[in-house]
Amino acid sequence: LYELREERTMTPQVFTNLLSNILYEKRFGPYFAEPVVAGLDEKGSPYLATMDLIGAIETTKDFVVSGTCDGNLYGMCETLYKPDLGKEELFETLAQALLASVDRDALSGWGGVVHIITKEGVMSRELKGRQD
Amino acid sequence: SDRGMEKRNQTPTSPNPHATTMTSFLSATAAVRSRNGEKCLPIHNSEGGATISVSFDGQNLAIGTGKYPTASYHDDVGIDHGITQAPWERRFSPYEFNGGTTLAISGKDYAVVAADTRLSSGYEILSRNISKLHPLTEKCVLGSAGCKTDVDQLRSVLDIKMKVYAHNHRKPMATPSVAQMLGNTLYYKRFFPYYAFNVLAGVDSEGKGAVYSYDAIGSFERTPFSASGSGQSFLIPLMDNVISHKNRLDEKRDLEAEEVVEIVKDAFITAGERDIYTGDAVEIMIIRSDGIQKELFQLKAD
Repeated sequence: LYELREERTMTPQVFTNLLSNILYEKRFGPYFAEPVVAGLDEKGSPYLATMDLIGAIETTKDFVVSGTCDGNLYGMCETLYKPDLGKEELFETLAQALLASVDRDALSGWGGVVHIITKEGVMSRELKGRQD
Repeated sequence: SDRGMEKRNQTPTSPNPHATTMTSFLSATAAVRSRNGEKCLPIHNSEGGATISVSFDGQNLAIGTGKYPTASYHDDVGIDHGITQAPWERRFSPYEFNGGTTLAISGKDYAVVAADTRLSSGYEILSRNISKLHPLTEKCVLGSAGCKTDVDQLRSVLDIKMKVYAHNHRKPMATPSVAQMLGNTLYYKRFFPYYAFNVLAGVDSEGKGAVYSYDAIGSFERTPFSASGSGQSFLIPLMDNVISHKNRLDEKRDLEAEEVVEIVKDAFITAGERDIYTGDAVEIMIIRSDGIQKELFQLKAD
């Protein structure tokens, strides 16, 4: 509807606000989802955001995490993250952070998917991890 | 304590005979109940779950039973500031969490053990300069996080037992023996445990690095590394990746003690950033057959 009315794609900032409103609508019977949003805005600069299950937004410049092993992910990202990484380096960093974190969580794992978003397009790769 | 589901049906003083107030300790149940017209307010906060009962009689919205909101702890690690639980519901807990993180890594002929130096209680810092590391012999150091009084008592008990052993056997205890003794000492108090999360680090009789991980009731295992305390979830996956070389395609190599110390410093910087109970400084000890080297590394004091 937005794209029909505005005749342009939604920027990540607007999308994040929309998602937050949708979640808060169900304040007293929430969706059990804690999303992360990642994208490039109209100028091409990266945008990251996360929310709790009732839509409280947090935006950061470096990384956002969510899930049953969020503690593990915070530890990995905090240590491995460096600003201004290239596409391939970022992919490696993400893959290592994800795989190491989910391997220590009984409720997560069985592989992973990494999407690297650039103005040329989205590069998606599947990760093979421990199948236990 | 029985933290099961509680249902309270109050006699409504409102005109609507169907208005009921109910508290639920499960937020999913509360969500389903709210869809069925029974009002419930699930609140998610870092202090554990709390529910405030809400009743609507068609005209007025009344929050709470009138006096106090009732609260539940989904687990016993809640922080009660005195506002979420009615006085007659609050129970004395013999345990308190004084915070902290410990990390130990074994190498070819050395072991590195590190612990932060912050002592906290709830949201307050009691001291920025308390050691969590305790040398038991010249070749073996115990690091413990948890409830400080239990940790101190455990150390006293171990020290005494080790003196008796040294007296009877005319030699200091070897590290694997210390490991077994610690496990037994913890299991002795199986039904009123020491609230202590231990890591034992040292060199064994062959001179190789040894690290043992424990739970609170004495289950232990020799491992390549061990992390325990409030910051363990931040450290363990990192250790898996860097020390055990998991999920990595490059070749694994033995690390020098100095490299491991740098890894430990990085790890504690991370834990200090993301864990409120970890910070101030890290005490690092390198244990080799010829002695123990110490280092104090400053962290953020926030």
